[in-house]
Amino acid sequence: MAHVVLKDLIKTYGSFKAVNEVSLTVNDGEFVALVGPSGCGKTTTLNLIAGLIPITSGDILIGDRVVNELDPKDRDIAMVFQNYALYPQKSVYMNLAFPLQMRKLPKDEIDKKVREAARVLDMTQLLERKPRELSGGQQQRVALGRALVRDPAVFLMDEPLSNLDAKLRVQMRSEIKRFHQDLKATIVYVTHDQLEAVTMADRMAVMNGGYLQQYDSPAQVFAHPANMFVASFVGSPAMSLIPLQASTANGGIVLTSAEGWSLALSQPNARKVQRATSGKVVLGARHSTIKLHKSAVAGAIPAKAYTVEPTGDVTFVQAFLSGAIVNISVPPTIAVAPDEQIWLEFDQERIHLFDGETEMALQAN
Amino acid sequence: MTIVAGKTGARQRLRPLLRKIWEHRADYAYVLPAIAVMLIVIAYPIYYTIELSFFNTPPGLQLRDKIFIGVDNYTAILTSPVFWKVTSNTLIWTLASTFIAFVLGFGCALALHRDFIGRGVLRAILIIPWVISAVAASYIWKWIYHSDFGIIGAVLVGLGLADRPPNFIDSVSTVLPSLIVVNIWREFPFAMIMMMAGLQTVPDQLLRAAKVDGANAWQRFWHVTFPHLRNVSTVTILLLAVANFNSFIIPWIMTGGGPSNASHIWITHIYELAFGRQRWGVASAYSVLLFFILMTLGYFYVRALSGNDRKDGSA
Repeated sequence: MAHVVLKDLIKTYGSFKAVNEVSLTVNDGEFVALVGPSGCGKTTTLNLIAGLIPITSGDILIGDRVVNELDPKDRDIAMVFQNYALYPQKSVYMNLAFPLQMRKLPKDEIDKKVREAARVLDMTQLLERKPRELSGGQQQRVALGRALVRDPAVFLMDEPLSNLDAKLRVQMRSEIKRFHQDLKATIVYVTHDQLEAVTMADRMAVMNGGYLQQYDSPAQVFAHPANMFVASFVGSPAMSLIPLQASTANGGIVLTSAEGWSLALSQPNARKVQRATSGKVVLGARHSTIKLHKSAVAGAIPAKAYTVEPTGDVTFVQAFLSGAIVNISVPPTIAVAPDEQIWLEFDQERIHLFDGETEMALQAN
Repeated sequence: MTIVAGKTGARQRLRPLLRKIWEHRADYAYVLPAIAVMLIVIAYPIYYTIELSFFNTPPGLQLRDKIFIGVDNYTAILTSPVFWKVTSNTLIWTLASTFIAFVLGFGCALALHRDFIGRGVLRAILIIPWVISAVAASYIWKWIYHSDFGIIGAVLVGLGLADRPPNFIDSVSTVLPSLIVVNIWREFPFAMIMMMAGLQTVPDQLLRAAKVDGANAWQRFWHVTFPHLRNVSTVTILLLAVANFNSFIIPWIMTGGGPSNASHIWITHIYELAFGRQRWGVASAYSVLLFFILMTLGYFYVRALSGNDRKDGSA
């Protein structure tokens, strides 16, 4: 296993910048998820690491080697693809053996490695089958096996679970996590599903528009999103982002809505808002940090329930505040009806404040 | 008792079937004209050809006065040296044309699959032989090959490679290969288009996977591209083979089967027997034989196609 370093990586197609000065380090044995919406540059970044497309500028290091100019086969990587990319005419055995045959390993060694990989992934009984005779989950396991058999320095995974049904995806998620723990493999994993990134990765690199937005552990990204994009992308349902206007009143700072209500900020929050470039401030709150009251409470803001979605152990209520959708989760014991008058109370300790101009998170110091 | 039970059982099975037909009576009415036309223009000629093949039709007699001679036409054909000459010509013509046109077309498809400047123009130019009229092409090639005025002869003589222009289509030994060249020239674009379409369906991800697995360009072709094209190749080859078996225009216009049957293939021979010499019976017997050969090819064609479906269905 080895570490991977990206230094100021740029990929342009004509005037379009697909990947923009991305720099990050994947430590030896670390599981890093590249996550972001479609077209954010995550798959391009992975293909750059793999060497499937040439870089425009910057450096890629695998281990201590600069691999910018190397062919994929010389980079000591293995890749798992979204559509599995198994060779349909070859048996599972031959699929696993293929990368070893291409490296001209002796036959008995190939056999040993293939059987070992099959044993690790619990698919010895499938070796003689053709890919089309396997279920989606089995096919993905073969694809993992084909990567594993090579014993590469880095595993690159391109949305490996996207083609599986929801139930199988959850199962394979834990299998891949287990795979990582057992092998202590360095894995770069691309996904558009923030939940996959949060649940599997040691660190997640959130990308948007070709730029790296934040690179940190899932807990940190969740608790301290660097900007409004990350805040709205990570977590489900998404963090509610309410545009407000900051002003000074009675020596403190209040956030005022165009709807007329206002929210007096606590001291630490007021300090954050003082650092904003203008009076435009966006209040962010996760669904679980907003308290829902069915009657007026001091400090709570009146709103109307818009939709109510019971999920069993928790019920999600949506309301509009200042034109923004606000998600609130309540225990199923609290019955809320659509269009019912409700009052929302924000937890000052757990709200997020963003600069309305730069969209960056406001820090106290 | 049992008979009655059997009868009602059969009737019980029959009744839903009849009801189904009745419910779909409009559908049957819609396809009826098509079926009628098919029966008139396809089924009846096939029947009539088979019937004629058992009769002698001397040129002096009217067709309705034909003389029944059993399988004599077939025995006459199978024992005639011309039959074997024509059959060997047909096989050489079909196999050589099909194989070379396919390989050439596949090669062009692979070359054109890469992106390069002028690709669109080149592709358009390469398709020309296939889209121009076969009759026009035959006349053009007849002049190109001409021993007195042909351009090939003139160039060869001009370059000092030959003392006098070679006889391409007036010589027994060179006429068939010369015609095959024209045929290949005419139909390789078809193979090219088919294979180009096939190449576009090779999953990019599979080629990338092979690249990461360490396969070089040739290995990627051999392990990924070529297996993926197996079905489209089979279909292309079968279609070419059927077309070549049925070829008529090029040999008929360029040589009419000559000199001394050296370029006669089945269809031109049948045509000459029927419409040149009015030997309808023999020509019909030939046609029946050809019919069975083509049916066999057709069987493999359908099997290749449905094999394709099966794989797609389960993948």
